[in-house]
Amino acid sequence: MNFCSKSWTTLSLTLKLTTASVLPFSATANAVETREESHAMVLLRGLPTLGTSHSVAIVELDPESENFGNILSEYEQPAMEHPLHHMYYSPTGRLYATGLDPKCSLAEIGLARDASGSPVVQSIDCLDTQGQIVGEDIMWHESNGQTYMFVTFMGGTGGDDGGSVGVFDPQTNAVVKVIEARKSQVGEGEAYIMYPHGISAYQDRMIVTSTVHPDLATGVGNSITVIDLNTLEPIQNITVENEKPVGFPSSPVEVLFARPTIHEDIEPAVLVNTMFGFETWKIPYNEEAKTFGEAEVIYSGVENKTAVPLEFYGNETELFISHGLPGVVKRYDLAQLPELVSTGPDIKAEAGAHHMIFYTSKSGRKLIAVQNNLLNLGDAAANDPTDIDFIAGLNDHSITVHDLDSGERSASLNFKDKYNKGIDNVEGLFGAGFVHHH
Amino acid sequence: MPLAFFVYRLSQTPPETTAIRDFSAPFVFGRFSVPEDNPLTEEAFRLGRRLFYDPLLSGNNELSCASCHLQELAFTDGLAKSVGISGEVLQFSSMTLANLMWGQRRFFWNGRTETLEEQALIPIQHKDEMGQDLDELLKELKASNEYRSLFHAAYGRITTDNVAKALSTFMRLLVSANSKYDQYLRGEMKLSAEEEHGRKLFMAHPDVKVSLRGGNCIDCHSQFLTSGFKDMFDGFSNNGLDNNEDLPIGLMAVTKDPAHRGLFKVPTLRNIAVTGPYMHDGRFQTLEDVMTHYNSGIKISETLSPLILEADNNKGDPDQARGLNMTAEEISAIIAFLHTLTDEEFLTNPKFSNPFDQ
Repeated sequence: MNFCSKSWTTLSLTLKLTTASVLPFSATANAVETREESHAMVLLRGLPTLGTSHSVAIVELDPESENFGNILSEYEQPAMEHPLHHMYYSPTGRLYATGLDPKCSLAEIGLARDASGSPVVQSIDCLDTQGQIVGEDIMWHESNGQTYMFVTFMGGTGGDDGGSVGVFDPQTNAVVKVIEARKSQVGEGEAYIMYPHGISAYQDRMIVTSTVHPDLATGVGNSITVIDLNTLEPIQNITVENEKPVGFPSSPVEVLFARPTIHEDIEPAVLVNTMFGFETWKIPYNEEAKTFGEAEVIYSGVENKTAVPLEFYGNETELFISHGLPGVVKRYDLAQLPELVSTGPDIKAEAGAHHMIFYTSKSGRKLIAVQNNLLNLGDAAANDPTDIDFIAGLNDHSITVHDLDSGERSASLNFKDKYNKGIDNVEGLFGAGFVHHH
Repeated sequence: MPLAFFVYRLSQTPPETTAIRDFSAPFVFGRFSVPEDNPLTEEAFRLGRRLFYDPLLSGNNELSCASCHLQELAFTDGLAKSVGISGEVLQFSSMTLANLMWGQRRFFWNGRTETLEEQALIPIQHKDEMGQDLDELLKELKASNEYRSLFHAAYGRITTDNVAKALSTFMRLLVSANSKYDQYLRGEMKLSAEEEHGRKLFMAHPDVKVSLRGGNCIDCHSQFLTSGFKDMFDGFSNNGLDNNEDLPIGLMAVTKDPAHRGLFKVPTLRNIAVTGPYMHDGRFQTLEDVMTHYNSGIKISETLSPLILEADNNKGDPDQARGLNMTAEEISAIIAFLHTLTDEEFLTNPKFSNPFDQ
């Protein structure tokens, strides 16, 4: 997301939730090793008052490694104001990143191996998006038997009600189609796309969310859009709005089409997190009739004292949802989706709990690393104008590492303290360790 | 200081070597490691390349490593089973030498060595392969001004260990990464419709329940390298060539474990179109023969890979032959995909060619 407006600073005064307690750092040192299962790709944001630049890096995240927290390879972004935003691996192993800067709303990141066998970041190639700006999420899915790369652009081609889904050739990266339907231009009751961010798909139906204008001031969405993948046209909007704990529209952010291809027991349904409604919604889907049922709240942040629900991630048995405040990851039984049936206590990360990866330590322990940062990345103490206090305390600048079974914290790494940079995104070096991000 | 002592000290001084230049390998090939005492250097590569092509390494000075490992055949020899210095037909087919830094870390069809350095000296000494006595080889190498200079630059001394190290360095740097498939992975080109169909079949394990057709190749041949997997003995498989009565010893010769009888190393499929005949004993002449085997010719034995036994596109039909039961069109598509693994640059790269011809 972009963060050009200061109008959201007032939110910091109205929203003060409990922050997670900080457990002691407990990393242990082992001999140097070359296993890569615990290496992560990170997008780092330069902080103007600290004189640092935006970059892409590879970092060691195994608390059992003596290299824990060390940057193993780093490549500075081409000169531009805003950093890259989210990373995704394609099914053929190519690494892409969306971007916040209009000069680079979508990029392919080049990785290679040097003569020691080590992975190195060797290039960032900004791609032609045909004017679509503020790239958010990416997924690969089929339309009429052909695989495409779908990218949400929260700014679309500009304007107060912009937003688009870019359809790209996954080989050439060329734009095949820009799916755009402005609310101001479609007829009353017609489907529109506005500020799209989250994206998920099942069979021939794709869902994108309507989140917030990139300037965080012009407008906020409160619905999801259904796209017919046979025609690549939007066909329906479904409103997901109930409580307004901060006085704004609900701002649906991430979405997951729960489906039997994730787990055979799952009845198809769309799950949506609302950033300002603090809720998780369920919308049942009838795949025979291709119709969506009534949307209902299945998790209330107001009731549970959590706010800013963000990402869906999953492994073979569990679904994980991050909540920016107080900075926790909640865990649920994958097989019982679309219902959210808890499988254990929250994983207590830090304020801004956001993206995550799953991997194993050198000794074989299952780990989860949580990136704790939403938008606020500046240095307020130095009067950094980029430190927009979007919602109070969503900027811990850290990655916390936890034992996946117990949730207990094993280690943490604060990028601002160690590298004078913020951290915007984390992804496993080999793409994931998770299987159901979308 | 006596002159002789000075010369002795000089000869013991490790040379200043040059790290290999302009090296870059695809990220998706994965991590590789090189022995700490044998780093990749320009000097070692130069020496290893010369040794690889030099008949001096054989007992009769007529055969080199390259006699059974021809570059244009992806360093195989086009024979079902190789023939060495004795004239006897050897036990196995000559293996390709592409991308040896990745995949299974045991070498030879039956995995009898765990390092390239260990592997390198075995064919040289084998009485039916190159029939060379290592002491004799050292005498011949030391008699050569050229080799004295090359060994000095690379390692300082002429030793059998350094012969093995140099050959290993040359083989490690035989990287094949510019096939049509590689170019496809880099987004530089598209596969034809048939090749793309074959790629998808290659990558898919058949699942009748959800109507997913698949060739199941990826269960043993990894997605990017197309080689066997490196962990433990994952890179070895009994792929249904023989029934129990005819099952050869295979990996069991090394591990003594009966569960390993009939298991052989899963080779890389890089350049597979030019490396026939196929299998450890070269029993199949063509890729069509290979696909016929996997499609309908699987023989049952006690150690048959379950990954192969379970891979059936017509599962549940007891009248069908043992195998993938794919259509002729699907088999053609997989073969079309296999042809995209041919790397012409690798097959003709002057850096890998015979230095005595230049």
